[in-house]
Formats: sequence, structure tokens, C-alpha cells
Amino acid sequence: MTLTDWWDSPKRELWFVWYATIVFYSLYGFVFFVVTRTQPPGKPWLNPDEVVNWFAGRHDGLLIGFGLIFSLGGLSATAIALITYSIRRMSVSRAYAYSYLLLYGVSAVPGFLFICVAMTAGAMRPDRDPALQQWLYDLGFLSFAGTMGVFFIGSLIWMAAVLLDTNGVFPKWFGYLNLCNALTEVVTGAAWIFDRGAFAWNGAIVWWIDVAVWVPYTVVFIHLLRQVILRDDFGTGRLPELPPTEPVRRAREEALVP
Amino acid sequence: MTTTEMRLATEAAEPRRVPGQPDMWVFVLVEALIFTSYFCVYLFSRTQHEQAFLQSQSHLILWLGVLDTIVLLTSSWSVARCVQHSRAGRYREAKHAALLTTGLGLLFLVQKIFEWTALIHRGHTFTSSEFFQHFFFLTGMHCLHLLIGFFVLGLLYLQLADPRKRSQETVETCATYWHTVDFLWVLIFALLYVVR
Repeated sequence: MTLTDWWDSPKRELWFVWYATIVFYSLYGFVFFVVTRTQPPGKPWLNPDEVVNWFAGRHDGLLIGFGLIFSLGGLSATAIALITYSIRRMSVSRAYAYSYLLLYGVSAVPGFLFICVAMTAGAMRPDRDPALQQWLYDLGFLSFAGTMGVFFIGSLIWMAAVLLDTNGVFPKWFGYLNLCNALTEVVTGAAWIFDRGAFAWNGAIVWWIDVAVWVPYTVVFIHLLRQVILRDDFGTGRLPELPPTEPVRRAREEALVP
Repeated sequence: MTTTEMRLATEAAEPRRVPGQPDMWVFVLVEALIFTSYFCVYLFSRTQHEQAFLQSQSHLILWLGVLDTIVLLTSSWSVARCVQHSRAGRYREAKHAALLTTGLGLLFLVQKIFEWTALIHRGHTFTSSEFFQHFFFLTGMHCLHLLIGFFVLGLLYLQLADPRKRSQETVETCATYWHTVDFLWVLIFALLYVVR
């Protein structure tokens, strides 16, 4: 497909939104893991002076990285829009799509904005009272790790829509994968109780296992959204399947030959 | 050709397939992996504080854990009977087996609530020791799966009750979910109650 074909394609806007989703998640990972080094999360048991040192060690990264998020974080809406669009293409009630849209409309706040605001405020005045710096540190990480209720319900709504859909927009196994993801979101509530161990905000169960499920889940749904765009016929009823790739077509033909 | 030979010939001619919706096995596999990772964390913590874990473990009510296991294994047997009856077109018996499974699941839930209450009254809570953190977490997560299981069994019952909606694949998918709940409990029971 040439650039002109692509530009004239009726799916141009959908592709634009899909690539914006890729940009958002790449930016999200780069800022949190590389620029600000706020993920994996800091230790919950740091004393106030250690927290002051933690902020001092990341001062520039926090301001630059979260500045980027404040400027471009709105791109998170693109993934939500595409998912809502795909649910509307299903045979289920539109109530699923609107519930998902409304729920994820606020997801940026617990999902990343709270931590960005708290950590940027901490980095802005490094000479602030250490007890207040520790308060901002706790607020940042607790709001990030411990507020997964939105994502729990959101995953369940998406799961129900996929499993009930008869238009074949997503494979059914993805519906079940949503349930697996939803169940790991529940676990994070323990971060509000413990400041060390497997259930703290940086713990093996609350953070590491959750991320080990969430990252493949995110990669899978971005890939499946791409498939939905490729298959989209802007019509109603069952979503057409993609024609088989050349090796698959040849293998099928050979299987038919006795 | 005898009846047995005919049945074997028919089975050989049919392509092999997994019970229920094949997609459901993604859930089984991923949940098994997630719980395996929880178990690994538990076992690692246990190796760090072996004596403390043993001491806390001694406060568990072993006979209640055994009873829980028997009840859930029986429920697995009854849901398997439900599938067999449904395959044979005996929907009335299948519905009875589904109700029995639900009843046994409820009995398990009541026992679990009783056990949690007894432990909390003795001062063993989610925050009292590292062992009990894992205990309440693993049994709590399992109970969450059990609660979803009641919804799944309700779906199974509706499938059997309405001749227009009957789908053997859905019945088997629901049964697969219930077996997963049972399978996870057996592992939790072995790790928390039995392994010393």
C-alpha cells in the first residue's frame, strides 16, 4: 500500500488513533521507567530523610518526564476511544460501550495523573519539610498502585461484551484474558495496609505479578485492536475475517490434497 | 461389530477436542500461571521465616481444611455428572447435579467464613503475621473465584432449563471453570495446610 492509498483509505482516522495509542504507551513506559525512574516504585519504608534524597536523585527527571506526561497524557484517550468503537461494533447493547467510555474517562486520574502531580510537587521544592515530602511520596505511589477499582470494573465490562458478542469482533479467549486481568487488579488494595513485603506497593504480588500480567495483556489488546481495524467493513453484523496469509493458505491447500 | 467396538470406532472417527469452548483454556492456563507465581512468593517468604510460618500454620484448623477439600472435590464430581447427563440428553438429572454443585459450593463458602471468623476471633488477622497475610490473601482470592463460579453455575442451570438455549459447549465451559476453582483449592490446601 502506497502512502497515497493509505491517505485515501477510509480507515485513515482509525489508523491515526491506533498509532497515537502506540505513542502513548511508549511514552508512558519511557517516562515512568527511564526518565523519572518512578517504576518499579520506590521503597514504601523509606524514612523522611531518605525520601528527600529520593526526590533529589530524580529532580530533573521528574520535572521533565512528568512535564511530558502533562503535555501528552491526553493521548491515553485514543486507546479508550478505539476500545469503545470496537465495543459499539459488537452485537451487544451500546450500554457496554458507554459504561466503558465513562469509566475509563476518569481512569487517567488514578492511572497516572495523581502520581505525576504528587511527584512533581515533591520535586518542585526539595527544601520542603521532609515529613511533607514523605506525604507526597506516599500519595504518589499509593494513588498509582492502590486505585485499580476503575480498571477492575472496566476489564469486567469489556469481558462481558466480548463473551456475549456474536459479531466476532474479538476472539473469546480475549474475554477470558480480561477476567484474568481484572482479578489481578483486586489484589492491589493490599498496598493501603502494608508498607513492606509482598503486599506493599512495590511488593512481589501487588506490583511485580500485576505488571507481569498487565504488560502482555496491553500488548495483546493493542494487537487485537489493529486486527479489528484491518477487518473493519464499517457495516453491521459479523465482522469479516482477514484472508489467510500465504503460508497458511498453502498449508490449507496441501492439507486438502490427499 | 459389538456395541463397544462400534463406540470405539465412532470415537476414533471423531476429531479429538478439548471439553467446552477451547478459548476457556486460556483462562485456565493464565490463572494457573498467576496462582503458581503467588505460590512461589509464598514459598520464598516461607524459606525466609520458616519457624514463624510453622508456628502460625499450627493455628489453622486442619480438619476444616480437609472438610473443605472433600466438599469441593464432591462438587467437582457432581459437575462432571452434570456434563455426563447433559451429553446423554438427561437434562432433568443434569439440572439436579448443577443444583447439588451449587449447594456444595455454598457449603464450602459457609465453612470458609466460619474458619475466617474463628481465626480472627483468636487474633489471627490479615495483618497479624506474614503467614496469615498469605493465608487470607490466597483463600480470599480463591473465594472470589468461587463467587464468580456461582454466576457461572447459574448460567449453566439456565442453559439446561431452557431447551432453546441448550448448548453442550457452554455446559462444558461452565464445568471447566468449576473444575479450575476446585483445582486451585487443592493446591492452596496442600500448600497452606499440609506442607510443613
